[in-house]
Amino acid sequence: MAGRIRTNKKLAQRINLNYFKTLRGIPRWRRILSGVFVVAGLGWLGWYALAGSPKPYNAGPLGHAHALLGQKCGACHMSQASYRQSATDQACLGCHDGPVHQEDQRFTPSCSSCHVEHEGAFRLASTSDATCTQCHADLKTTHGASKFVSNIRGFDSSHPEFAALRPGVMDPGTVKFNHQVHLKDELRGPNGGVQLKCADCHRPPGTDESWPFGISGAALKPASFTASDRLPDRSYMQPVDYEKHCATCHTLQFDRRFSESTPHKEPKVVYDFVFNKLTEYIAGHPAEIPLVDEPDKRLPTRPPQPPARNAAEWVQQRMADAQLLLWRKSCKECHALSYSNGYDALPVVAKSAITTRWLPHAEFDHEAHQMVQCASCHAKVNTSRETSDVLIPGIQTCQQCHRAGQDAAEARCFECHVYHDWSKEKPVAGKYTVKQLQ
Amino acid sequence: MRIDQTHRPWVIATVALAIVSTVAYVVYAVEAPAGPRGGSAMGLTFGIVGYGLMLYAGLLGARKRVPTWRIGRAQTWMRGHLWLGLLSLLLILFHGGFAFRGPLTLVLMLLFFIVIGSGILGAAIQHYVPSLMTSRVPLETIYEEIPHVRAQLREEADQLAAAICGPLNGSTEEQTQSVLVEIEHDDRERFREVYLRKVRPYLANPETQGNELGDPLRSGETFEALRRLLAEPVHGVLDDLENICEEEQQLSRQIRIYRWLHAWLLVHVPLSIALLVLGAIHAVMALRY
Repeated sequence: MAGRIRTNKKLAQRINLNYFKTLRGIPRWRRILSGVFVVAGLGWLGWYALAGSPKPYNAGPLGHAHALLGQKCGACHMSQASYRQSATDQACLGCHDGPVHQEDQRFTPSCSSCHVEHEGAFRLASTSDATCTQCHADLKTTHGASKFVSNIRGFDSSHPEFAALRPGVMDPGTVKFNHQVHLKDELRGPNGGVQLKCADCHRPPGTDESWPFGISGAALKPASFTASDRLPDRSYMQPVDYEKHCATCHTLQFDRRFSESTPHKEPKVVYDFVFNKLTEYIAGHPAEIPLVDEPDKRLPTRPPQPPARNAAEWVQQRMADAQLLLWRKSCKECHALSYSNGYDALPVVAKSAITTRWLPHAEFDHEAHQMVQCASCHAKVNTSRETSDVLIPGIQTCQQCHRAGQDAAEARCFECHVYHDWSKEKPVAGKYTVKQLQ
Repeated sequence: MRIDQTHRPWVIATVALAIVSTVAYVVYAVEAPAGPRGGSAMGLTFGIVGYGLMLYAGLLGARKRVPTWRIGRAQTWMRGHLWLGLLSLLLILFHGGFAFRGPLTLVLMLLFFIVIGSGILGAAIQHYVPSLMTSRVPLETIYEEIPHVRAQLREEADQLAAAICGPLNGSTEEQTQSVLVEIEHDDRERFREVYLRKVRPYLANPETQGNELGDPLRSGETFEALRRLLAEPVHGVLDDLENICEEEQQLSRQIRIYRWLHAWLLVHVPLSIALLVLGAIHAVMALRY
């Protein structure tokens, strides 16, 4: 018996010429699975399409503010004449106003180019620096050059020093105040030595605690820090107020016969108050008209006055002394007085011009920084002698914490700056019902 | 396909394009006010080019189905498929800014990663395993022809056996009349029994696990034992049957290696097609919104 011989003929006979017409094994399964996967994918999309849900095409979770609109694409993606249904400014402005940034800006970005949606649950106001620096890195206005620094690319790189701290800028306040003196040990207080703390005079609004050096029951004046109503109420410090912060030490006593002080108001009010008090007093004590007062050590030396001949003269003499004490000593200790109407007329007190907000183009929240000691940022306070000293911390102080990196506080523009000028905000009439949003 | 020196121009071109794309992406990502977005001009450019490369890579299947098309050599297409397909992943990642949050985009990127991963695995397998096929399966045949070849081998074995012991299913008289090799009746019966009990079942189901004839070592021992058992004239037929069994073993080996070489395609190809279809839908819907 001959062995097997693999001739060409034998080998050729092995070939089934129609083998490619029938798929088997892996190629067959490959084709089946191709169909299965495509059908599964289309089925998945079709299922949602039939249910009228756009979920598969959702580009990502919405921010908290828009979470209710997750299944209502049309609320933002408005139909347009073309095929596109992109989120337009018109859709945004239908629910909330977006006031202009600056009247003379040359470019107004679309809402969605800064407030990027479908990025997950975080504040839509957390815009990237690039949204600001696209203009502020080379700032130009419709009127040409800008009055602001024109090449800012980031807080920790090219941001200038705060305007209030630039050379030549001084505190415009006219109330004489020496921080160094007021912070020294054993400062003479109403009841002996005291050590003042920052919070004895500087506190955010809303604190119920009484002021240690104020008049009890002093009426709280309307706060003057409402310039930024987008921040929490406790963001800025209450303005310094005589009744709340100064009155117990710096009394406005005008005569030894009265424990009461004059009101801390304009000279005319003070004058009338003192005049009325003295008039009432002598009317009740006519026996004192001829008596001559002992010289008051607080007053400049002057020739002794003759005994008064009547109540009017007695009041006139005491008014002269009271005015000398008030205008030349008590008031003058803090205020700049001028006598533009002559020395015999009432003085004019300069406007105190206390700055309530040092960073007019930025926002600062003291409450958010309450874990930091005051002097740690306001480092010059302990050595400041002059009212003209600007005591807000410089940008380098901020940059110690607010810098780039994961272990740093937020340093993007939006942390301090607000793009929209909310003072121009217009009310928006709501267009949804609660039911529509459910 | 072996990844050898012939791939060098493709590698250089792919790396160069990747570098250019990366530089463009970094500049764009740094300067884009709202960060890199698929819908921005640059993002769309990355998306369109990336999807174009994916389509090109997908067209390899069409190119293979119509080998007579005069649209470049199949090898060139395969190299392009490998390297431009890989590049498309980078471009699509740049398109989405490395973020894919929506359900469809998430599914697409998942599919894309699996497709690219299986493709890399497949390329590695196709690089190393074919040499194994050459060395271990000298009698390699067309994979789809294997059942046909096996049927022929069975038929050939039956004819060889019939030459010794007559028709396997015929009567004793028919068997005696049709034998071509004259041997003792007892030897003939013994051969018939051995063939029907051991050889025929193996040839009928060569993929059955544990069959001694499916193992090259044990198969040799079995046939050696049969030679000792059966008379000298039958040995030539035994040699042929052993040869047929050896060819069956090689076919089994070829099937195993073929599965190694092509099983990854069960993932790669179907998911690629799904990716292209869903990617097209994503493009249409994303441009709308």
